[in-house]
Amino acid sequence: MPPEQAVFPHVEERSATAPTARSASKSDAPAVVLRGLHKSFGTQVVLNGIDLTVKSGETLAMLGRSGTGKSVLLKLIIGLQQPDSGSIGVHGQEITGLPIDEMNEIRKKMGFLFQNAALYDSLTVEQNVAFPLKRHSKMSESALRDRVKELLSSVGMEDALHKMPSNISGGMQKRVGLARALALEPSILLLDEPTAGLDPITSGEIDELILKLQKEHAMASIVVTHDLLSAKTIADRIALLHEGNVLLQGSFEELEKSDNEFVEQFLKRDS
Amino acid sequence: MRRPFEGRELFRQLDEIGSKSLPVVALAGAAIGFVLSLESRSSLVHFGAKSMLPAALIYSIIHETGPIVTGLVVSGRVGAGIGAELGSMKVTEQIDAIEASGVNPYKFLAFTRILACILMLPLLTLAADFCGVLFGWIAETLVDPVSFHRFISQGFVGAHFSDLLAPTFRTAVFGLIIGVIACFQGMNTKGGTAGVGLSTTSSVVLSSLFVILADVVLVKMILVFFP
Repeated sequence: MPPEQAVFPHVEERSATAPTARSASKSDAPAVVLRGLHKSFGTQVVLNGIDLTVKSGETLAMLGRSGTGKSVLLKLIIGLQQPDSGSIGVHGQEITGLPIDEMNEIRKKMGFLFQNAALYDSLTVEQNVAFPLKRHSKMSESALRDRVKELLSSVGMEDALHKMPSNISGGMQKRVGLARALALEPSILLLDEPTAGLDPITSGEIDELILKLQKEHAMASIVVTHDLLSAKTIADRIALLHEGNVLLQGSFEELEKSDNEFVEQFLKRDS
Repeated sequence: MRRPFEGRELFRQLDEIGSKSLPVVALAGAAIGFVLSLESRSSLVHFGAKSMLPAALIYSIIHETGPIVTGLVVSGRVGAGIGAELGSMKVTEQIDAIEASGVNPYKFLAFTRILACILMLPLLTLAADFCGVLFGWIAETLVDPVSFHRFISQGFVGAHFSDLLAPTFRTAVFGLIIGVIACFQGMNTKGGTAGVGLSTTSSVVLSSLFVILADVVLVKMILVFFP
């Protein structure tokens, strides 16, 4: 479906004069709306018609087996990859097929924490967090330094300002990545495996940090994780991906009550 | 409207590609000048044309040896550097992180490197030319002492400014080729460390190959436009 024709049901419900997503009123639109999203790599179908809505201020945890396209979904939402078909709405605006400059404006409203933090290894921790601020704000040098310190202190990394990413641990890198993702005060936070590869104590600290930041910033968050405990702690809602589709979505309690064989298997493995 | 490139990153690349390539380019130029002088001398003496040595040496260095040696040395050093750096950034998702920050990675990473290559190649070529001529004179004066001033005066008899200008500035095209190929290979790296190795190798091989091909085409064009 061409982007111009992409239709968001939620937008139509609210505005009869707004036939397309791009022309829709954006003030009260959900943070992210995915409709009929398909994505394949060669012959491998990864996403097969995903429908999902994430409201402003809500935290959605995406669970599923490895290779079910959870990380791909996040990359589609931030425009790092393009879907084969379907539509992606961010605050009521259709983003598939947007020109790069317009997409960059949308990206300023999103923060992305990569699975391995993806810190710029030639820059210090301070420069990493300052990177988006330097390019998108007109702060003075001193105001920028203060803002970076504030961000790093909010993730407990104020002492690592001048360290290189290679000289800090994986958990610390995730914290710095989180500070960088929050630099532009995004309204949507995308977290790709924030606790993967971390010990249980550090994972717990990261979860607490995410909860604290959500409380402070009231962002919509989509968290891709394999960690059920983490999902239970930080998410308002869970979506379980299976064979390219959302098998089940609801609260963690609803997930636990499900009698679906795959869901039972998924939960049993972790308990 | 924002500039199409980042000033600070451009200066970093000018230093990385220009200043840090200077020693190896100067050394290559010096070695070529020294060897050319030694080799040419015996032939010219044999034909009784020893007085032609400065002109032959300077003409050869400025027209061909200096530019092509600079192009090939920079292809190796800078092509490998850019290919490996951008390739590593690609496989560790750092380029995705730049894009996710709302910054165009092509403007930030590729444009600055390509522009730095275009600006620095002619300057590096002048350095290679100077070292080549200087060490050619040293080689000559060790056998048959002659002042540097006289050596240069004899060498530039009948030469025009275009003799220096056109060959030197054709290396800007070499810079464009090296920058574009290395950035393309680096930013399109696939896989892990093996992919980085592959993109580094292909950056060097392809940029060297295209520099040689461009040299042939450009020399022909220069001969047409500056006969």
